[in-house]
Order: sequence, then structure tokens, then C-alpha cells
Amino acid sequence: MAEKHHWTRRRVLGTTMAGAAAAALGGKRAALAAPALQKGSKVTFWGGLIFSDKANKLLVDTVNKWGADNGIQTEAVMINQNETVQKVSAAVASNTMPDALDLSLDLLLLLSRQGQFLPLDDVYDSIGKAQGGWYAPVASSTDTSKIAGGRTGIPFGVSGNLLLRRDDLLSKAGFSKPPTTWEELAQQAAAVNKPPLFGLGLALSNVGDGNVQISVMQSYGGRIADDAGKTVTIKSDATREYLRWVKAAWDKKLFPPGNTTWDGAGDNQAYLAGQAAFIANTGSVGIAAKSQDPELYKATLYSSLPGGPKGVVSPIAPQLRAVPKSSKNPDAAKALIEHLAQPAFMNAYYEAAIYGPVLQDQAKFKAFTGGDPILAGLLDLVQKGTAPAYPDVFNAGYADMFNNFMIPKMVQRVVIDGWDLDKAMDEAQVGTQAIYDKYK
Amino acid sequence: MSQAPTPLTSRPAGLAAARQAAGRRRWSAATQDRVFAYALVAPALLLILGLVAYPFFYAIYVSFTNRVVGNDGEWIGLGNFRYLAQSAAFSSAIWNTVILVVASDALKLSIGLGLALLVNQRFPARGLFRSFLMLPWAMPAFVAYLTWRVLYQPIGGGLNLILTGTGIYSGIIDWLGQRATAMPAVIAASVWRGFPFWFVSILAALQTIPAELYEAARIDGATAWQRFRHVTFPAIRPVLIVVTLLSSIWTANSFESVWLLTQGGPSDATMIFPVLAYYGMQTQRLGEAAAVSVAMLPVLAILVLVATALMQKDDEA
Repeated sequence: MAEKHHWTRRRVLGTTMAGAAAAALGGKRAALAAPALQKGSKVTFWGGLIFSDKANKLLVDTVNKWGADNGIQTEAVMINQNETVQKVSAAVASNTMPDALDLSLDLLLLLSRQGQFLPLDDVYDSIGKAQGGWYAPVASSTDTSKIAGGRTGIPFGVSGNLLLRRDDLLSKAGFSKPPTTWEELAQQAAAVNKPPLFGLGLALSNVGDGNVQISVMQSYGGRIADDAGKTVTIKSDATREYLRWVKAAWDKKLFPPGNTTWDGAGDNQAYLAGQAAFIANTGSVGIAAKSQDPELYKATLYSSLPGGPKGVVSPIAPQLRAVPKSSKNPDAAKALIEHLAQPAFMNAYYEAAIYGPVLQDQAKFKAFTGGDPILAGLLDLVQKGTAPAYPDVFNAGYADMFNNFMIPKMVQRVVIDGWDLDKAMDEAQVGTQAIYDKYK
Repeated sequence: MSQAPTPLTSRPAGLAAARQAAGRRRWSAATQDRVFAYALVAPALLLILGLVAYPFFYAIYVSFTNRVVGNDGEWIGLGNFRYLAQSAAFSSAIWNTVILVVASDALKLSIGLGLALLVNQRFPARGLFRSFLMLPWAMPAFVAYLTWRVLYQPIGGGLNLILTGTGIYSGIIDWLGQRATAMPAVIAASVWRGFPFWFVSILAALQTIPAELYEAARIDGATAWQRFRHVTFPAIRPVLIVVTLLSSIWTANSFESVWLLTQGGPSDATMIFPVLAYYGMQTQRLGEAAAVSVAMLPVLAILVLVATALMQKDDEA
């Protein structure tokens, strides 16, 4: 990387503040009429802790610098994203929510329904107008207007699954292009399957990675529920077809042993240990390989998830910022969130974290055009990906089904317990309907 | 303390009044003692009420509501329990929890008792050996179970390497990934972590048995088994009851053993109550999660009652 293009932390902070100063002086991008910030007041911010120390530090430093420049006392606390639900639940119960926080879409939707957040339409519109508009799947999936009377979350990044493949092995086997369908994936995986290296490093366990199976099922035409999002429709010919695909791959022993009880790091570890030729992952494995195993990093290529008879289903998972209604300093919290959307900061943040863009102008960031294959893949994901749950409706029942791993469990009934496909579908159908019925 | 003079209307009446006054003084002193005693106990009582009783009864209350994060919810009666009763995972959790507790306790008892009897004998470096046996219990639970997870890895895991290296079995055994081996694997790890508590408790009980009793039994011609049955066992029985009770409660409530090894899978082969409750928490449905925990109470209550009855029987004997 050429030195003149290198974004150091100091440069990012300086540029960000220059942008803020320009905005304060009535620059073109200052679309939002910023209310006067109360000097000496305090803002508490809970940021989402991710695996990149560099990204975490950059976020904390930027928040604190903004506070120092505006005469506002800031407290930036990084919360492990795996613990956000517990921390936020306790904070809601004890009325100790911060002034602003990062959170996932399902938690935002849940708490927005309870009226926990302030509407941020003005901030949302201001940021969107200044940076070329929001990507369509981001805009549609994060719209809380119907449940909260306004937009309560400001998206700042998108994650999702890419297909990682061992090009060194696959090209030797005659596969130079990524698989475009799940059938092709199984064929390519079978061609390189040679234990202890297994072709299909897909999790079938009760963890988030296991829920990739929902997308596979949906790409075969299977659905969780009807268009109203109320009546469960898991049992179908399309789901049966999908289960046949999984069962066939299982019977050919294409999955690494242990994948039905993998934890969240199971597929990462299998790929890094050279035990899997393909995995579906957010890209964190690529970053780990870059430092731990440069040869593996070079041998890895990235593509979007394959498709089924009904096309590609590749859901995005937006990350958002919100301001609780209990905030004692809502104006400053909103100003902070708008400040954190500044292009200079976001470019540097994207380079260190593994998030795809949320705004059209961000596609031009060096982070996404600089040749990093993972970030390029994430840009591709947000441009071609589908909204969360698509073609199903992302509602409370869907989120509950997702968190109870109903589809991986259905698959486990087939491959572990040897159940007949219809019996497994029946159980998933009844169990998921019971979940959906709780929200009627 | 000054007292109002008693009018001497008549002699017997005056005596009665004097007795009454004296009685009042005595009763008053007793009351004072009682109040003082209550005052001494009050802080501990308040602490127990605040830290044990309140959360306990509040959890029971929450289990009858549809409370979610951010909303206190409404009273829905047995709604959560009806939903759980329909769930396949719930019935698996009942069965698996019973298997885990019974099998773990039986193995911990066998290993703990065997080792305690062994270490109660005199031999060189006995103290060092005793300390060594405490290591599994001293190790943080998450470290212990993650280590076991590594040992169980199908590829490159310690157990399979031993089997392959010794020529016993050359294939890959997916210890945690198949129904037949997942629960035994969890039980083995749980026993390894928990047997030192049994060992140290039984050893402490063994050391309270007077040597004269064994000597007398020997003189009477008792065999080793008869000495164990008629001298050792009656002496350690009260300890065994308490240890069984505590260990059963801890095992039934143990979350990390299953979560770190299998997350309740594969399928629902190792699903137990605490893991099921955690899934309820992940979906932010606090009422439902509380209902899972409350559903465990009757079983644990029966266990406590049985143990208490046995202990009382011992006391009376």
C-alpha cells in the first residue's frame, strides 16, 4: 500500500474532525440542523466489540475525540457482540441503558416493538442524502416505521456469508470457477473429498452458522411460513428436495465429522486446520488465515453463496446504532451517531472490520476498491444479497425460529437420528408453528 | 425503673397485684431477650430474603407471564408450561437431565469412594497424591470442558490418537457428534470434573472413624467386606447423603459441561434443562426461560425431601 494513501488513525481522526468542522460551518453535507450540544454533559456509548482490535480502538478513539472537541464527556464501552442481548436486557430492566449503542437487527426490532428507542428519521435521511442513498435491502430490512412509528436504527455495516473455497485443490481437480448451485458445490466437494480433508465444511449444528441451512432450503423453494408470516409452511416438496440434497452429501461423507455439534468457531477451525475445502463464512476466517497461514490465505478464493432451483438466497445481516428513549442526552447521542457515519472514519473502520457498506457512496471507498477479496465480496453481498429472511417475512416468529435453530435441528433428525424426511419435516412444522403461534 | 404504688385495698388483692407486676417484669425481660435475638438474626434474614427468597419467588412469578426483554408482559397462567410440554426438546431435556445426574453421581460415588478408601491407607507421598486428585476440581470449569472438547475432536483429538496409536481402532470416532457417544462423553467429562468433591468429603468422613472399631471388628473375625458394611458405611452414610444431594443439584444445574461440549446436540441427544433455559434467554423470552427453570423445581424438591428424611432418620438412630 502506498504511503500517501495510508489512512493512519491520526489522519482519520483529523479528517473526520475537519469534516465535522466544515459541516458545522454550513457545508453542503450538513443537511441536519444540528441542535446546540450541551457543553459538559455526558454521553455513554456501547460499541459492538468485534475481533479486530484495530477497529475497536478506532471506534473508541473517534468517540472520545468527538467528545473532547465538543466539550462533551464521553464514555465508550465496547460490548462483546455475543453478550449484547444479556447486557441490554439487564440495562432495560434496571433502566441503565446508555445514550447510544450498537446492536443487531433482531434486537433492534424486538426493543423497538417495546417502544425502547427514539425515532431517528432525521439522522437517517440526513446521512442517506449526503452519501448517495442507502442500499435497498439495507433500507427495507431496517425500516421500523410500522412497529415503532419511525426509523429507530441507523445502519453502519452489513455482514453475511461468503463461500470460501480452496482454489489450490479445486483447480487441480479441474474446477476453476466457483460453484453456482448447491448441486455443483456438492460435486466439487466430492471431487476433492479425501479425509482428513472433507469437501463440505458447512455447520449443521445449533449455532448461527448452522442457520445457513435456512438459505439453502429457501433457495430450493422451501419456506418457513406463508407471505403473511403466520402459517408455517416448512413441510413441502421443495423442503423435501433440499433434505435429499443434504442427506446425499452426508451419506457420501462430505461433511467433516463433528459438524453437527460445532460451536461458532467450528467451521473456522476446520478450514484453518485444512480439514474443509469449502465453508460459508463472514470472512473472519480469511483475516485469520492472512496472519496465521499466508499460504492458505493465498489459496483461498471468495464468491457469493450458490443458488438452488429458485435462485440465490444470500441474506444480509445489518448492524445498527440506536438511541434509547431513556437517554439523558439524546441530542448529543444523535450527533455522535451522525458523526460516526462520516466517510473518512467509515473507510478506515471498514478496512479494519469485516463489514460491507450500507450507503451507495461507500462503494467508492478505498476499503472496497483496494483489492481486498473479502471486502470486495462483502460489497458484492450487499449489492446482490437478499434482505434478512427473504423470501420469508422477518418478524418475531421468524427471529424466534432462527434463534431456536429449527432448520439445523430438522437436518440433524435426518442425518443423526436417521428419521424419515417427512417425519423430520412434520416435527419442524409443528414446533415452528407453535413458535409462530406465540406471536399471534 | 420506678413503679406506681399498688393501692392496698385488701391483703390478698395486694399480693395478687404484686405477683402480676413481678410476672410482667419477668415477661418483659423475656420479650427483651427475644427482641434482641430477632435483632441479631434480622440482618442475615433480610439478606436471605433479598438474595434467595425474592429471586426465587420472582422467577416463579415470571414463569407465569409472557415477559420479554423490554416488556414486563402479562399473566398467562400455564401458557409457558403448555408450550414447553408440546416441545420435543423439553421431553428430551427431562430424560437427559435424569440420565446425566444418575449416571454421573453413580460414577462419582464409585471413583470418589474407591480413591478415598485407597488414600486413607498409609503409603509414601500420600499428601502429594491427595493434592493431585483435587486438581480437576480446582481447574476452572470452562478450561476443563474445553480441554475435554479438544480430547474428543474427531480429527487430531487425544482419544482418537490413542486409539489409532495403540492399534485398537484406526477409524475416526465422532465422540460428540453421534447419539450413541455424545451423552457418555458428556458424563465422562462431568465425572472427571466432579469426583474430587466426593473423594475429599468421603475421605474426611473416613478419618473420623476410630481405629478401635476396626480393631474390634478384626478381633471378632470380620472380613474386609463386613468391616466396610458394618463399620465404614454407617459412619460415612450421613456424608454420602449430603454429598449426593449437593452433587445432584449441581449436576442438574450444570450448564457449562453440555454447552461447551455439544450445545445440547447432536439433535437433542444431550439437551438438559439449563441449556434449554439458555435457548429461551437467547430468544429474549424471559417468561419461557423462567418456566424451564421452574419446571426443574419439583424434581429437585423431591430430592431434597428424600435426603432430609434420610438425614433425620440417621439423627434419630
